Amino acid sequence: MITAGLDLGTQSVKAVILKDGEVISRSQAFSGFDPARAAEQTLDEALKKAKMTLNDLDHITATGSGMALATNSNSTISMMGADARAGVYLFPKARTIIDVGAEEARAVKCDEKGIMIEFVLNERCAAGAGTFIEAMARALEVKLEEMGPLSLKAERASPINASCVIFGESDVVTLIHRQESKPEIARAVFDAMADRISSMVHRLGVNPEVVLIGGVAKDVGFVASLKRKLGIDISIPEYPEFAGALGAALTAAGKVQRSKK
Amino acid sequence: MSNQSQDKKYMPEIPQKEIDELRKSIKATSQKVMADNIARMKKTSNNRPEAMQYFDEVADFFGKREKEIRAAKEAGKKVVGYMCLFAPTELILAADAIPVRVNSGWYDTAKLGDRVVPVEVCPVIRSTIGAKMIGLSPYLELSDSLISVLTCDGQTKLGEILSDYKPVWSMPLPRVKDSAQSLRFWREEIMTVKKQIEALTGNKITAKKLRSAIERTQKATKAFRRLQDLRKGNPVIMGRDAMLVNQTYMWDDITRWTEKTEALCDELEKKVTGKEWVCSPDAPRVMVTGTPMIWPDNWKLPTLIEEGTPQGVIVADELCSGERLLYDPVGVDEWSMDDMFNAISERYLMASTCPCFTSKDGNEDRINWLLNKVKEWNIQGVIYYVIRGCMLYAMEYTRVKKVLDRINMPVYYLDTDYTREDVGQMKTRVEAFLEMLAARIDL
Repeated sequence: MITAGLDLGTQSVKAVILKDGEVISRSQAFSGFDPARAAEQTLDEALKKAKMTLNDLDHITATGSGMALATNSNSTISMMGADARAGVYLFPKARTIIDVGAEEARAVKCDEKGIMIEFVLNERCAAGAGTFIEAMARALEVKLEEMGPLSLKAERASPINASCVIFGESDVVTLIHRQESKPEIARAVFDAMADRISSMVHRLGVNPEVVLIGGVAKDVGFVASLKRKLGIDISIPEYPEFAGALGAALTAAGKVQRSKK
Repeated sequence: MSNQSQDKKYMPEIPQKEIDELRKSIKATSQKVMADNIARMKKTSNNRPEAMQYFDEVADFFGKREKEIRAAKEAGKKVVGYMCLFAPTELILAADAIPVRVNSGWYDTAKLGDRVVPVEVCPVIRSTIGAKMIGLSPYLELSDSLISVLTCDGQTKLGEILSDYKPVWSMPLPRVKDSAQSLRFWREEIMTVKKQIEALTGNKITAKKLRSAIERTQKATKAFRRLQDLRKGNPVIMGRDAMLVNQTYMWDDITRWTEKTEALCDELEKKVTGKEWVCSPDAPRVMVTGTPMIWPDNWKLPTLIEEGTPQGVIVADELCSGERLLYDPVGVDEWSMDDMFNAISERYLMASTCPCFTSKDGNEDRINWLLNKVKEWNIQGVIYYVIRGCMLYAMEYTRVKKVLDRINMPVYYLDTDYTREDVGQMKTRVEAFLEMLAARIDL
């Protein structure tokens, strides 16, 4: 059985091809102004890598904030539902999945079958999500990917407010004026994000095993801050940014299986 | 009563031209929204009850009912508006006056309210202020006087602000129900408002008239309960339709409303017998609780639930704009004046589950109501709905969640505002919740 999962995220679209429970291909592109087209192209590319065509697919499931735009999908699953599916597939003991994307952060509580039981999302603000790091990197005049390694060099933490991207930025400016070092400010940014996300997770209860997925999971600075904040080890898969698409592909496989029964 | 005071305490002076333009454009939007809501409600429901047609019409704020009240007023009747449902409408009816609830559900007027109070203030309040500013609400405009029950902070100040335009009778409400002193205090307030109503209308509230008014509301309660009971089984009415019926009670003629609701229930009973469900009986059964959801604009949550993928159906609510309106009858033992006033005082104070109350055990009545509803109405998930600035409901969530967790009842906290812009984000949340409920039902 071959299925595909499409994740139409706020910043990028991702495709995963799944064959008999194994990922055989992945592809990613910017969502841009025409996410539907971006999704089509991404899926084509993933199929090309797997040396397949659309006809080889038994079912396509879409997820992500733009899932309704997907032109060639057979079904959809909520982002939180996909997170739970992927989390438990990647780490069978996972019960709490944290997904931090470009503009949204969420936490999902799930059971052993990967069915979500409860979820929370960040409230209408991107301060707990990837965009926040981007904005702060600009303020510090460093590259986005330098932020994490930089923050690990910090000797102490200076608290800032991450209730809002705009306020966060003005807090960073205050630190700059106080002539704090770049590593310390970078760490302050991650600590503030981790603060917000950990209070979100605490609303569900911190049930191990905790899995972190989404593009921001690749940032070592954020991961270090979140681990410190939650006081617990966090599992991170090899391709955290593809977890949503993987969850969708797993959902698609489930649908095919059910329809065969 | 400084009714015509030149220097208003709160309200800004706005040029008449601006007022007229704003009213014209917001009214036009509102008419579109009402028509659109009803069209969507018709589309969503299979076999929509024919009796809904009456309620669709009476739901029009700028329609027949407005004209009817206007005509009654011209014939000498008085109109008494009220904000919270603690206002003893029996007394208004007994004095031959017309009760209307005037809380605003208009999104666009909330922005106008920002000129008077900060955006952090609950949008129901801001929207009502804005509606008054431009004279949008026919029922608020037609009110000769307003009863302002001092419940939450927003309502408390709203009365004060509206007193820039109209006589406002404030009724302080005790915060603790289970005390003999509270009941005595509240009864005094009821007696005071009785005198005020008599003075306004020039009609004396006699025992005979009061009994007749109580009997009319008792009949309305009976019809109201019958409707909610019909929502216990497989769905014969969509939640939005039932919610609309409930809300129209706030401005319709009580006797006619009761007849029409009974007729609707007759039709629904036939649907039960004929197994004519309005949506799939497998649709997740949802209860909503929290901040009032007021027609016509603030209809987005029920719309998202009942038009969602997967589709859900609202079978019960715990809202002061919904099932709390009329669920409890005034229980009179003997039809003496004294006893009737005791019964009215008790009904308005004791039956309320509003979070403005506390007691030695907290707002236990609300918890019990929710638990009873979950059980009797076979609820599969609860959406706890709070609009920004609604502090009391927001704060009680933690308590409610703990209680619902204990009985393994999924609950989702959804916060929003008087705005159309967040419908996309709300949709993500609501549909994920419904998907989760559907998955639980599947297993």
